Amino acid sequence: MDRRTFLKILASGSVGFATGYSPDPYGGSRPDKTLYSLVNAPEDMVTGAPTWYATTCRECPAGCGILAKNREGRVIKLEGNPLHPVNRGSLCMRGQAALQGVYHPDRLQTPMVKEGNKWRKISFAEAQHLLNGRLAAAAQGGRDGIAMVTETVGQTQMDLFRLCLDAWKASPPIIFEPFAYESLKGANEAVFGRRVLPSYRMESADLLVAFGADFLETWLSPVEYARRFKSMHSINDKGEKGFFCHVSPFQSLTGANADLWLACHPGTESVVALGLLREALAAGLGSGLPRPFLAELEILAPPFTRELVAERTGIAPGDYARLIEALVRSRRPLVLGTGAAAADASAVLTDMAANCLNWVLDPALSRLDFAHPHRVQTASTRSQVVEFFRSMKDTAPQVLLLHNVNPVYAMPGVESVEAAITNERTFTVSFSCFLDETSQLADLVFPVRLPLECWDEYAGKEGLPSTLQPAMGRLTEAPQLGDVLLAAYGGTDLKEGKAKAFLVSRFLNQGIVKDEGEWLRTLQQGGVFRERDLGASNSRSPVPQPDPSRLNPLRQIPEGDRSGFTFVAAPSLRFFDGRGANRPWLCEIPDPLTRVAWQTPVLMHPATMKAEALQQGDRVRISHAGKGIEAPIYDAPWVKPGVLVMPMGQGHFAYGRYAKDKGINPLALLPAGAEKAGDGPVHVISGVFLRRTGSREPLARTDGARIPYGRKIALSVPLDGLEELKQLRLPGLTMWDFPMTLPLPEGYDPTRDFYPPHGHDRYRWSMVVDLDRCIGCGACAAACYAENNIGIVGEEQVRRGREMAWLSVERYLDPVDASRVTFLPLMCQHCDNAPCESVCPVYAPHHGKEGMNNQIYNRCIGTRFCSQNCPYKVRRFNWFAWEWPEPLQLQLNPNVTVRSKGVMEKCSFCIQRIKEVHGRAENEKRPIRDGEAVPACVQTCPTGALTFGSLMDPESRARRLVDDPRAYQILGYLNTKPAVIYLRKVIQQL
Amino acid sequence: MTQLLWTLLTLALSAAGLLMVLSRLRGIAPSANRGPVLAVFVCAAAVVGFLFLFYRTPGTDIGVAQPIPFSHRVHSGVKNIQCEYCHPYVAQSIHPGLPPVEKCLHCHKYIIAKHPEIVKEHWYYDMRAPTPWKKANYLAEHVVFNHQRHIKKEVACRECHGTVETMDRIRGKYFYMEFCITCHRQRNANLDCWLSCHN
Repeated sequence: MDRRTFLKILASGSVGFATGYSPDPYGGSRPDKTLYSLVNAPEDMVTGAPTWYATTCRECPAGCGILAKNREGRVIKLEGNPLHPVNRGSLCMRGQAALQGVYHPDRLQTPMVKEGNKWRKISFAEAQHLLNGRLAAAAQGGRDGIAMVTETVGQTQMDLFRLCLDAWKASPPIIFEPFAYESLKGANEAVFGRRVLPSYRMESADLLVAFGADFLETWLSPVEYARRFKSMHSINDKGEKGFFCHVSPFQSLTGANADLWLACHPGTESVVALGLLREALAAGLGSGLPRPFLAELEILAPPFTRELVAERTGIAPGDYARLIEALVRSRRPLVLGTGAAAADASAVLTDMAANCLNWVLDPALSRLDFAHPHRVQTASTRSQVVEFFRSMKDTAPQVLLLHNVNPVYAMPGVESVEAAITNERTFTVSFSCFLDETSQLADLVFPVRLPLECWDEYAGKEGLPSTLQPAMGRLTEAPQLGDVLLAAYGGTDLKEGKAKAFLVSRFLNQGIVKDEGEWLRTLQQGGVFRERDLGASNSRSPVPQPDPSRLNPLRQIPEGDRSGFTFVAAPSLRFFDGRGANRPWLCEIPDPLTRVAWQTPVLMHPATMKAEALQQGDRVRISHAGKGIEAPIYDAPWVKPGVLVMPMGQGHFAYGRYAKDKGINPLALLPAGAEKAGDGPVHVISGVFLRRTGSREPLARTDGARIPYGRKIALSVPLDGLEELKQLRLPGLTMWDFPMTLPLPEGYDPTRDFYPPHGHDRYRWSMVVDLDRCIGCGACAAACYAENNIGIVGEEQVRRGREMAWLSVERYLDPVDASRVTFLPLMCQHCDNAPCESVCPVYAPHHGKEGMNNQIYNRCIGTRFCSQNCPYKVRRFNWFAWEWPEPLQLQLNPNVTVRSKGVMEKCSFCIQRIKEVHGRAENEKRPIRDGEAVPACVQTCPTGALTFGSLMDPESRARRLVDDPRAYQILGYLNTKPAVIYLRKVIQQL
Repeated sequence: MTQLLWTLLTLALSAAGLLMVLSRLRGIAPSANRGPVLAVFVCAAAVVGFLFLFYRTPGTDIGVAQPIPFSHRVHSGVKNIQCEYCHPYVAQSIHPGLPPVEKCLHCHKYIIAKHPEIVKEHWYYDMRAPTPWKKANYLAEHVVFNHQRHIKKEVACRECHGTVETMDRIRGKYFYMEFCITCHRQRNANLDCWLSCHN
């Protein structure tokens, strides 16, 4: 290069540098933005401040009350309604993710009609016109020209459906719920004489025995039962704790929370239940029962001796004997039946035996609440659903209406479903917002408003009418289903508000509310909650005399079929029956036990894996009766050897970009139709064969290890060791004897501290995590995603360890007894001596004056030194600019910065919420009250495991909990002085 | 940036002029292509002059043009309407709030209702269309400024926004951290990164 060229390049380079570089935070080119003013100001909207609307969650049939946080017309966060008796302010992961349904990028904007094999978009008016015509023609054609399948809906909507269907000379709708609890209903009918699903007053029990009921995940009403369970299963003031025993072939999340897991062979739960019945009768319990009933029990129970139970079920005789002793000794025992995962021919026997056991143990049945049965009891049985679709082959109705159901996915083996939907003679209308497997086959997809945009009523439990109201502005032109049907009923054009009028008049006519004023007050609080506390209700319905002859099926002693492997399709905490699979949060937050995100592994005991010479991540082909699926293996010691467990919910071949072709659908392996004994679906099959495919699929796991390798991370204490813990004095400086050092000036010790103490300005925020109350449900993680605009990275990046969760619920197995699981919510510890702060070259992690460790995003240059130096590994680096495909970005919290590529981020203790509380307190010229500042995770925890408060306030709940003898700091011996204090899990043995 | 470009061009021009003067002083024979060189410089000067007139003429820095030439000088200055009348949430929320179209019409239904610009406003109202006002004040997106806190601390609007009552168009501002922190220091206000400004 000659001198002249060099100078040219140098000159142009410097000019380019000088002009291109700009210290302007607005960027070189200043944005030209528009501020749109409203035409009319809604009276309940203050720009910049949230408005809260009470409504009801419809993500599952439990029906929790929610408060929707609305900012400038869009809902940005859902929180539990503290007034609602079902969930009392908490919400599960799926409830939090309801938002992502509303803002889903694949949500249908307009109706679509199928022409040939192509979809054509039409307007809502056209769709309504088309529908009106078809329905009128079908109604003219005589009886049952129209058929309807719906999900579980509230009574108001059901009345509306019936009104319309009656007018069209059609039968009432089939209610299709993949989890319809047929065996529970059947057993309740057989034993209690009532085909209902009562609620359970777990909180008043001192011993809980469950035969597979996954009440912390999907069973009936998981948020409610999580709360009730922990109020009996956490340590009380007297140092007592209820005992929970789970009898099941594998540990679900519920099983992982049990004090004792009795691993029985699949299908032999009823043997255990009858064995317990025998022992209870032998101990003289149940003497007050009606004579013929007791006589029947005395005939059928005696064959189930301890030897028989041990032989048939594979349960260790010692454990079983201890359970018997505890059950007989217990003053307030409660027995729960099976969950959806145990659905096979034996499930109804197990549930019947469990009911008998309940009756014998507690003749008054005081812990069963028949006054408030669960709404999901209205669902049709699987046999009814299968029969419905089968009958359509012969008598095809002219119009088939599908409301929010996906039978093509949920019953993959049942050919008549597809045949019925695609039948030439039937015009199938799917009222769905997503093009799922079923809607894809329909002739007309008619998107309707989602529950967060609707006027409706839903009572998750009888006697608790909860209201739904539109909590947000409309994103699509979609009308409400009630309005569509009423317009078709009247043969007119769509007119908004008819369904609402129907709702209000029903409330007034039935005397649920007295007048308009009371209606408004009801809307405001989210429902009519006359009974604040469901547990205390004494209005128990009398139980009719049972018919002993109905117990006959229990006389047979079930033989476990042991050929080949047994395959169990388990309901998923994250996806429920599969309806949650299109929500990116639910895919990204890993399964609580496997810690695998985005994928569906098949769980297998390590001994079985060894016998089959398989390794974790090997893909295997599982086949049964001509059907087969392929899945990667996961090494799970919480599964009985010989059993394969696979979570349901994923493996969609439609349903939008986050669900399609992600994971595997275990239902594809299961036999079609319903099993005969209980009318329910089959989720357990034996005689399954396994073949190695030779390929591997690395798992997207987020756990580094299963055990803490002897480090001070997830600690527990035996119930009888609490006293000892109180006497404990920690004088040393090693891992196990390093004293608790609070992140306060009083925790400063010049002999071991290098840096001077931090002064705090009135507050020093801190969180106390009670590991004894944490059930590992991950609701906190979902709330954190929602509140803090956390990016979704996808399967590939999770595999590379780049997930962005600010809070993850770590799972640790006991190194000695792998069935003991400790869940540990881990977020930034906001250390007083924060290792991240001292290594950052640009001071991006900054110690705030209320003790929080602040990450200054715009200062961060992405060296990642802080993450390297953080012993808790809670810092997350943005490797890419994560995307929120439109309109998912509308969910973003405007009070939280969206971080860009190259920036480190982490838990902030929800600084935006603390600031809001600061503002409120300053307006009222008072200090912040204890319990007023609540981060999103603390707010949503169903069991109250998290407590947030200031350590500077000696009276705060957090400060007082720190004095609990169970308190410790994770890796406290590093002298980081974490502000997150953990309370040891209390373990107990029988 | 514009300023930089401007300075560079001025420098280049002065250097060229100087060179010409120098060459004449030294008595070097003026080259034969003097005419074209001069033409180039004249053109360059014309371009610079045009750019200056287009972008930098004193008096053109009057703020961004709005879809309706709303004058803060008239409303806030002459008519002496309080800021909170149109920006009602300033003491309740982080945002001061923009007046909805209906609020403008509260008065302008009666006052100069037939004025062509007010007719535009009526059009927005009748069409149920939001008015696309241009943003004038900018704050970096990683900062959440809370109007309520500042108003409650009796920081007057004009301390940040200037004498709005003298501006027809809002001149607007790009707020930088220095602006905030200077004031926070003077008033002994919160200087904590997160607790005061960033989220």
